[in-house]
Amino acid sequence: MPNTATLQTGIQENLYQHIEDWVKAAKQKVCGVLFLYSANGPAHLEAQVRGILESQPDLSFEVWSNEEGILAVIMPGLTLDAVHFEGLLLKQRLQETLPDLDPRITLASFPEQGEPTESVLKQMAESAKRSVTGDIHIFSKEEVKAARSRILIVDNDATIREFLQIRLQMQGYETYEAEDGLSALEMIEKLKPDMVLTELNLYGIDGLPYINHIQNMNVSKSPKIVVLTEQKVEQTISQCFQSGVEDYITKPFSPVELDARIRRCFN
Amino acid sequence: MEGIILLRDILLIYGLFAIYYVMTVNALYFAVLAFSFKNIMNIFRRSAYSKYNTLSGSELVPAVSLLVPAYNEEVTVIENVKCLLTLNYPNYEVIVINDGSKDDTLGVLVKEFELEKMANPEMRNSIDCQAITGVYHNPKYPHLFVIDKPNGGKADSLNAGINLSHYPLISSIDADSLLEKDALIRMARQYMENPEETVAIGGDVRIANGCLIENGQVKDFSLPNKMWPMFQAIEYLKAFLGGRIGWSSINGLIIVSGAFGLFRKDYVIAVGGYRGGYPGEDMNIIIKLHRYMLENKLRYRIAFCPEAVCWTQAPDTYHILSNQRKRWGRGNLKNMIENYDMAFNPKYKVMGLLTMPYNIIFEALNPYFKLTGLLALAGYVALDMTQWKILVVFGLINFLSGYLFSIGALLLEELAFKRFTKISDLFKMLFYGAFKFFGYSQLGTLWRIQGHIQYLQNNNSWGAMTRQSWKEKSETPSSA
Repeated sequence: MPNTATLQTGIQENLYQHIEDWVKAAKQKVCGVLFLYSANGPAHLEAQVRGILESQPDLSFEVWSNEEGILAVIMPGLTLDAVHFEGLLLKQRLQETLPDLDPRITLASFPEQGEPTESVLKQMAESAKRSVTGDIHIFSKEEVKAARSRILIVDNDATIREFLQIRLQMQGYETYEAEDGLSALEMIEKLKPDMVLTELNLYGIDGLPYINHIQNMNVSKSPKIVVLTEQKVEQTISQCFQSGVEDYITKPFSPVELDARIRRCFN
Repeated sequence: MEGIILLRDILLIYGLFAIYYVMTVNALYFAVLAFSFKNIMNIFRRSAYSKYNTLSGSELVPAVSLLVPAYNEEVTVIENVKCLLTLNYPNYEVIVINDGSKDDTLGVLVKEFELEKMANPEMRNSIDCQAITGVYHNPKYPHLFVIDKPNGGKADSLNAGINLSHYPLISSIDADSLLEKDALIRMARQYMENPEETVAIGGDVRIANGCLIENGQVKDFSLPNKMWPMFQAIEYLKAFLGGRIGWSSINGLIIVSGAFGLFRKDYVIAVGGYRGGYPGEDMNIIIKLHRYMLENKLRYRIAFCPEAVCWTQAPDTYHILSNQRKRWGRGNLKNMIENYDMAFNPKYKVMGLLTMPYNIIFEALNPYFKLTGLLALAGYVALDMTQWKILVVFGLINFLSGYLFSIGALLLEELAFKRFTKISDLFKMLFYGAFKFFGYSQLGTLWRIQGHIQYLQNNNSWGAMTRQSWKEKSETPSSA
């Protein structure tokens, strides 16, 4: 097929989008997804994996990879325990043939664990990559939920926006950014994010009326609000909590603390 | 024949006097400029290394009441109040004083912010002012108050604002000016350096004509396209950077611009608040503060904070500009006449020995020297007492020293603030700095004399001012 090469690079560049589309198009009721990553994986790893899977009867599967060395295995029709079994099998067989290999595996089955959106898949791959133990990681429902949450970051400072965006994306959140109060209000109406992480000192609108405005917005579910600000005046803090913000964090902030507080808001 | 000899003698003496006059005024200019240069690196460092962001959220920064007198401002007032409500400052309130506007200034405010008349507003009567008709407030905007009162002038409005204000510092802001988000915190930082002695701080006023403004933020700075605002841009730069930095460093500042200044409320009340009935109330309050502090032998300083920037729309037609300048001339003369006793009085230190004499002799009376100088010049030519070469040399020296002062101010700007992002803007400044000596300076003299005439005629009006929305300006920057 002349198109195979271009198709292959297309998948490489946009692996997660491709998987999402594939699963939707396959119209399977159940679909298992497994991500495998190995820091010292040999070039023929993908072929090895294919070989192991092909040796099993009645298993239909697809194997794709991207430039980062992430290997994705899609197994239509497999429930979570079946995928888990395949994962264990794969790991054992790989280690038999390649004793030096240290594979990291994250797996899940959809829709049992949720919806396989691009961001969820990306997050699964990331967790395989960042895993510190050799144990197989089953991607939990909570993790899927977090990965599907959309956070709007509002801050006047481009550096802070960039930092938060990178950090939150690494945790699997889908992030958007706005620079001032008025454009933030517009984006909330349009994107309907699950959370707004916002500074209070913004151009265009005063902090407290801005918070009230978000809460009285004409959207089906008003977003959770976490304030991340320089403003340390106690009166303002208490007024913010009174008007119903989820959390109030002052700058300079600890990123670890911020992560924990955001995670808590979603649980 | 004798008459001509007498005339020659008079002209000769006058000529000698004029030469010394010009030499003194130039020496003073350059002395003040030298002080400005001495301080500029300090100013640069303190604005570059201060952590304004951290400061702007701190509970330790003193709270400020912003007083915004508004008269017939229905076009711009909403936008301006919204901008003032988004300053980077931990704790402040905005008090808009509707000074009996003939348009619907109060109505648009009440509608936009859903204000309601307060049943029982707490007004202190620290300063005499006209009885107010009501105070409007909305708990949703806890930091906004609107006072409604019958027309009584700008000074009276400020006094009413002081009576309602809840905080120890007050800041007067013109309703047609736009504060930078950090302006107030920068001033407060300077105040906090020495809260005991600082009684007033002035901010830097810059011309916004030609800039792109969105959401109360100056997005793109460029110089005005029209001629009149361009001349004023030079003038403001010279006055604020070249002049006021120097004057403030010897504590001889005589004016804090009415467009943006910060004051300690207790001392403003002690001197009886703002004086009504005449323009120039911004200079008047500073002279009164100097007088009060010196007469009571209190240590004090009146500071200037060039890094705190307030943008204003400069008049862009001849008619409005001339009105403004005549008003300034009138107010200035009134202040000088009221306080002439301070001049040459050693009791008033720098103020009495330097600032007041300088302002009377070299500012207020300056137009008359210029005028008589011109007449004398005609006399010299008529009586054949001079050669054209000498005249040319004299004119050239005068022009060069004035131009050098403009360049000095521009250099200060480039050393500390670097607001000009385009090279073409710099050249434009240099060009207009020279061009202004051919026509504009002479007009300034004329306007000042006209102002003095108005004063003698007891003309007390404020004169025509028009308002333009910031939004319209930014949408059509080419016409601004």
